[in-house]
Amino acid sequence: SGELYCSLPNPRNVHFESINMQNVLHWSPPEGTGKGVLYKVKYSVYGVGKWIRKPECRNINRTWCDLSSETSDYEEQYYASVKAFLNGMCSDWMETTRFNPLTDTKIDPPMISVSSTDKSISIILTAPEKWKRSPDKESVSLLQVYPGLQYNVSVLNKKTKKRWFFSISNNTLVVPWLEPGTAYCVSAQIHVTTPLLDSGFSKEHCISTLKDK
Amino acid sequence: GACRVSMSMAEIRAGFTAIKANIQSRDPIRTLSVLSHPHSLHKVKSSDRCCITHHLFTFYVDRVFKHCKTEDSFVNRKISSIANSFLSIRRKLGQCREQNNCVCGEESTEKFKQILANYEGLNVTSAAMKSLGELDILLDWMEKSH
Amino acid sequence: TDAFLPAPQNISILSTNMKHFLTWSPVIIPGATVRYSVEFQGEYEREYANESWLPISECSLSTATVCNLTEDISASVPYRLRVRALLGAASSPWGTLTGFFNRVTTSLTPPVLKVVADGHHLLVELADMGPAFQFHVLYWKKGQESRVKQKVVREVSSVVHLDTMEAGAEYCVRAQAHVEAINRSSSFSPTLCVRAQGDISLWL
Repeated sequence: SGELYCSLPNPRNVHFESINMQNVLHWSPPEGTGKGVLYKVKYSVYGVGKWIRKPECRNINRTWCDLSSETSDYEEQYYASVKAFLNGMCSDWMETTRFNPLTDTKIDPPMISVSSTDKSISIILTAPEKWKRSPDKESVSLLQVYPGLQYNVSVLNKKTKKRWFFSISNNTLVVPWLEPGTAYCVSAQIHVTTPLLDSGFSKEHCISTLKDK
Repeated sequence: GACRVSMSMAEIRAGFTAIKANIQSRDPIRTLSVLSHPHSLHKVKSSDRCCITHHLFTFYVDRVFKHCKTEDSFVNRKISSIANSFLSIRRKLGQCREQNNCVCGEESTEKFKQILANYEGLNVTSAAMKSLGELDILLDWMEKSH
Repeated sequence: TDAFLPAPQNISILSTNMKHFLTWSPVIIPGATVRYSVEFQGEYEREYANESWLPISECSLSTATVCNLTEDISASVPYRLRVRALLGAASSPWGTLTGFFNRVTTSLTPPVLKVVADGHHLLVELADMGPAFQFHVLYWKKGQESRVKQKVVREVSSVVHLDTMEAGAEYCVRAQAHVEAINRSSSFSPTLCVRAQGDISLWL
């Protein structure tokens, strides 16, 4: 269809926001346009010659569009673009910078499960999964995407207020010889050396060692 | 034997990350890639990896960095840092080749020819800036497969 | 270049723990404020870029007689360095560092560490030496010097757990700093020993 008269101000700050490789395109409305603006979205694989429209994000009034499915191959890089429409007028196509899912995603903290005996706590860490199209699809752990992935684990003795750090590559940690009947709080972070990616620290999981028999 | 080269990827990564947006914004051509299309580095056989890596480091040292001078002193300094790191690594890879631990098969030679053809399909400054902007494609592949 | 503005003298490099500084003697012009600018040239520039030099903007038009090169000397190749004096529109000849500087020659000092026995747990805290560093920490039960264990530690300024200790036993620790980028290590720190079951800490 022929383009309309394109003098509408452009969408602003068109960019990808990515967590665990769920890659969502975000933008801000054109300056001073108020309600009623509609948008359409297209994307392209860098190095491949064509732009591809995203049907589910055609004539939408929201300012985001989930392109995770279209950008799930993290061995490729991508561009996306947004155009605004209002009252028969349109804006220019506004593009993202080049998006590299491997280096430009953020990683969630690991999941933690903690159990205790009277003198020890056992910690099991699970790296987040890469985004997947639907629950029935096969899960891919970020451990497979980032082979050098490590865990930094913090263990806080609530009584002495002392905090210890552990850096481990496998996903289990047993801390023996603890004080019975004492609360310990555990939190953990994912660390990838290169590309440099660190998750935040997880929420603290507190558990008490059992009282002395 | 295998070719074992110690290289400080983190430093090169940090240098590139600092200038990635600047360099990639100088490459307006979305529809062409030097390194990743039509052949992806990720499809290189493991036996060809050392040879392709040596070819690519030589390519960047000999043909890319020198055509990437910008008006921005900070960017030029980061390019110098990457170029000198590549020179240091290329020398170590060269020693591997001399010890016959970095053999070039037909496939790797063909794949590298395609990369050169992509490069030579553009004017030299555009090709060099595009290649520099694709450094993370090379680094991603090296970290994943090495 | 004006003859009356002499080139800076006594140009030298101070490089410790992967931090590299160029220093020189001030050019004294009575009643005037002399400024300086610094440039570097890596092996790549010599061999592939017509022996070009790159200015270090943080040290340009500065009155200081020291320049931090750390960010720019980030490859293990020989670099050349030069500095000149500036006074108004006048500039001196370049004063060039004699020979080359390669960061592999940086001097590495042993790490500063604090060893703590917290109940049955042997802990160590290492002072930060910069992003290029990791630490090889050796620890053993006193009297069992043949059964030394090693842990590579990257975290700094936090209490890192090394191992659990047998009740009442004395354990000893020493560490060296390691720089992967130049594949060199410092000498070892002095050995520090602590005894399990007690909250003893020794800070060196």
